[in-house]
Amino acid sequence: MGSLIFTSIILALIAMLGNGEYFLGSSMLSRPLVMCTLTGLALGNVRQGIIIGASLELAFVGSFSIGASIPPEIISGSVLGTAFAIGQHNSTAVALTLGIPIASLVLIVKNLCFIFILPYFVHKADAYAAQGDGKKMGRMNLLGGFLAVNLPIGLVVGLSYLFGSSAVKALLAVIPAFIIKGLQVATGLLPAFGFAMLMKIMINKNNATFFILGFAIAVYMKVPVTGVAILGACLALILTGYSSFHGKKVVTQTSNDDNAAAKEDIDYEDEEF
Amino acid sequence: MKMRNSKLLTRKDLLATFWRSFTAEWAWNYERQMNLGYAYSMVPALQKIYHHQKDQLIKAYQRHLEFFNVTPWLVTFPLGISIAMEEQNALNDDFDVATINDIKVALMGPLSGIGDSFFWGTLRVIATGIGTSLALQGNILGPLLFLLIFNVPAILARYYGLWIGYNIGSSFVEKIQKTGLMDKLSYGASVLGLAVVGAMVATMVTVKMPFKIGSGSDATSLQGIFDGIVPKILPLLFTLFIYWLDKKGWKAQWILLLIAGIGIAGAGLGILG
Repeated sequence: MGSLIFTSIILALIAMLGNGEYFLGSSMLSRPLVMCTLTGLALGNVRQGIIIGASLELAFVGSFSIGASIPPEIISGSVLGTAFAIGQHNSTAVALTLGIPIASLVLIVKNLCFIFILPYFVHKADAYAAQGDGKKMGRMNLLGGFLAVNLPIGLVVGLSYLFGSSAVKALLAVIPAFIIKGLQVATGLLPAFGFAMLMKIMINKNNATFFILGFAIAVYMKVPVTGVAILGACLALILTGYSSFHGKKVVTQTSNDDNAAAKEDIDYEDEEF
Repeated sequence: MKMRNSKLLTRKDLLATFWRSFTAEWAWNYERQMNLGYAYSMVPALQKIYHHQKDQLIKAYQRHLEFFNVTPWLVTFPLGISIAMEEQNALNDDFDVATINDIKVALMGPLSGIGDSFFWGTLRVIATGIGTSLALQGNILGPLLFLLIFNVPAILARYYGLWIGYNIGSSFVEKIQKTGLMDKLSYGASVLGLAVVGAMVATMVTVKMPFKIGSGSDATSLQGIFDGIVPKILPLLFTLFIYWLDKKGWKAQWILLLIAGIGIAGAGLGILG
């Protein structure tokens, strides 16, 4: 029992570090690849944690917050999914099966916090601003993020592990084999969901060709993803004119246009960041 | 990077903004999104700029508690511009205060357009591609490289964005919109991002159809037939199917459930394996 409580606390802290991404420069700490690795480390099976992390990362590759959308709560899904799977000496499929519903459930909790707790801090900051108290106004930023989002996520993860792991064990024992097999198949299919979400944001009729190009290069030339990324970067530089030849032309009749083009180039370099 | 000569601020003041900007998304809220993080990052500079003008300071705090949102790694760029403009406001009596928020608002859309496609669609996709391909083999370099590949450019952009924003101020915005650089940047980023997504569809989505047609030595698997047309066409078609479902307005949870259902049904019937 003592070690169960200890593990629950560690997992809660891992989850809070994951959400701490938003305190630490939106640095991707909440991604399954990081969360599952740390969970694996805490439970004494780093290797399995990393492998599960990779699979969950692919399943959730399209889940991220752009603009005002809030993605499924991947932190709790990753940490609990991995913890239960490793505790069960079980496969990646188990982590996914548990991780995805957990992520959707905790998203509801997170949204409740967003709706009922966080606005208090937003309005309190307005009041401090009106008094000209910058220090207290800033404190609302720090406290709001911690009390309304970070701490609840830690609590949900810690408590779920404390009370849930034996219940989850019993649940897993009654799942028939063909369902487990089916979920393994689904694990292979799930990345398609993430890629479809990415395409939705990026694709239009001017750039759809490059999706097909990347696919064809990978399939027919067997170039790994990194290679395709390098080719894609070169292509992007060529197509946007960065790598075009802008040297002096021998024919000088349209010297005005040349100067204008050359000037533009200098501007690009200044403005690159 | 060198700082433009300033009567009111030192390099150290701007560095305080740089560090505080890491918390930009910490108290992200539905109502005004990044406002608490933005105001928090402005506090040290504002306190210095309006040292003896409390009424001006209060107005400035309130200004920066307004709605704001941008790709988090680029937040220092509008912050730099805001600081430069607040400084102008304090030095010139006839400065039009409304332009400070006008510029912020004008920047939100285009800057997020570039930022989201570059950081989410390109940089993170590359980091994920390299990270997961190593992590799938249980290699600890997977999560480590994932974090490094993403965060080194992200922190550099955050750092230089501040100085560029501060030094060039508001004239910068007008300039890049006129030269069409904004469009070029987002187009180039989408070319690179989509090529990588195409390659990831080919290498990371797994659809296997071991189901055989015919009997004895004449039997061919469905997989073999499809691969004869275009290798990996099944992952491609499946991804496009999910993309289509999403376009039809299917909710994410339903798509995820459907994928799990297809996996279980396919495995149960022996079509997928």
